[in-house]
Amino acid sequence: MIRKFVNSALIGVVLTAAVVAAAARTARADQDPMGVVKGLVDPALQILRDNQSPLNDRQEKLRQLVRGAVDFAAISRSALGPHWRDLSDQQHQDFIQVFTDFIEDSYLSRIQDYSGQQVEFVKAATPDPGYAQVFTNILQEGKQPIQINYLLKQNSPSWKIYDITVDNISIIANYRNQFNRVINNKGFDTLMTDLRNKQQALAAQLGTPHPHD
Amino acid sequence: MLNLIYIRIANAGATAVAAIATLALIGFVSTNAGAADAAPLGSSSQNAAALEASQSGDAALQAGVESDPLAPFNEAMFTFNLKLDDYVLHPAASGYAKIAPVPVREAVGRFFDNVLVIPRFANNLLQLRVPEAGGEVARFGINTTVGVLGFFDPAKNWFGLQEHDDDFGLTIRYYNVPTGPYLVLPFFGPSTIGDAVGLAADGAMDPLAYFVPWWISLSRGAGQRIGQAINYRSLHLNMFEEADRYAVDLYGAVQDAYSQTRANRVKALKSKE
Repeated sequence: MIRKFVNSALIGVVLTAAVVAAAARTARADQDPMGVVKGLVDPALQILRDNQSPLNDRQEKLRQLVRGAVDFAAISRSALGPHWRDLSDQQHQDFIQVFTDFIEDSYLSRIQDYSGQQVEFVKAATPDPGYAQVFTNILQEGKQPIQINYLLKQNSPSWKIYDITVDNISIIANYRNQFNRVINNKGFDTLMTDLRNKQQALAAQLGTPHPHD
Repeated sequence: MLNLIYIRIANAGATAVAAIATLALIGFVSTNAGAADAAPLGSSSQNAAALEASQSGDAALQAGVESDPLAPFNEAMFTFNLKLDDYVLHPAASGYAKIAPVPVREAVGRFFDNVLVIPRFANNLLQLRVPEAGGEVARFGINTTVGVLGFFDPAKNWFGLQEHDDDFGLTIRYYNVPTGPYLVLPFFGPSTIGDAVGLAADGAMDPLAYFVPWWISLSRGAGQRIGQAINYRSLHLNMFEEADRYAVDLYGAVQDAYSQTRANRVKALKSKE
């Protein structure tokens, strides 16, 4: 009993230290767009390479990492486009929750596909005040690199990711078109159901579905 | 003379309908080809507009949502193409993948690509990119001879001559002519009215058609497209499974990917001036 308590206290201390360290790092890094992206990608690559730790731990670490760098509320707003204004606050919250899970699980379901690719940080550009784009390449042997660009918006003073492009295809614009069609043809409730079903199918592939917070 | 052109365009149209290509062949092929030289700053301003719109509700409210006046027809053709892929193309491609190893299939892909030099040459020329057009001629010459009928690409590997992919649909966009509404073609997949015209125009640029009877050039053209489609699909056997896993509405996903890809391609062409 006591031993159990000591164990959990110990774990608590270690976790707290880790969170504080991560927060301190984020506070420094998120002052500029390139720092935010590097602060996301570099640790993520470390987690991906670490195939000794249990898969669940790695997934959870990645999840926390992504939540620190990505503005899921902004992503959700952007993905609903013109429909955002027609929905209630409760619907906004529900959608943000489901879409966040969906996006996280999309990426986490690909963990085991990682086979040692390197990431090249090309440059950061600021096309409009308050908006930035960070250009990266995923280098793969014997093939064209995949261009992954991160679009960031400044919420003073920190920068948060609100879209990612893969070979210049905007992921959020792609979902916006899908969601627009589903809402127009079948309504918002159907979109929520469909999105939840897809997310659960992805989560099932992660090994074990994760608990919601 | 004019009569001859009409016949050739009609032939190309017939080839188009006779040929089997996957619904996403054009979209996904051009996604890959465009990746190498796509324009910087992709769709950042468009997205920024959509983000602002959702916050403040200004005039940019429709940003990033595709229009689709032909949706009922397009959705039917989309379903048709998916079935066609299920029953014909995917089985054929899987069977072919079992007997031909990947390097062979990649070489076959290069072969098909090499013979389609004329539309690339012509459209580079139409957009006044003379060095690129010349490069296409040089590439064809090198790859057809040293590269053994185009199965290999020494022009790129030894001489550093990159391919400059181009088509008539891009030429139309290049001169800022609207390409009309989104259109899903049977066999060919995502397109627009303008791109469909471009497809026929590019198809009419078949040098063989000047020398042999129309039915030989027609069946060769169809055979070539069928072969190209099967070969491409064999290298991407899980294409739709993959796409469907991450899509809530596959039709909408393909439509948007097509429109973003075409917009990126023409932006890249214009930025090279």
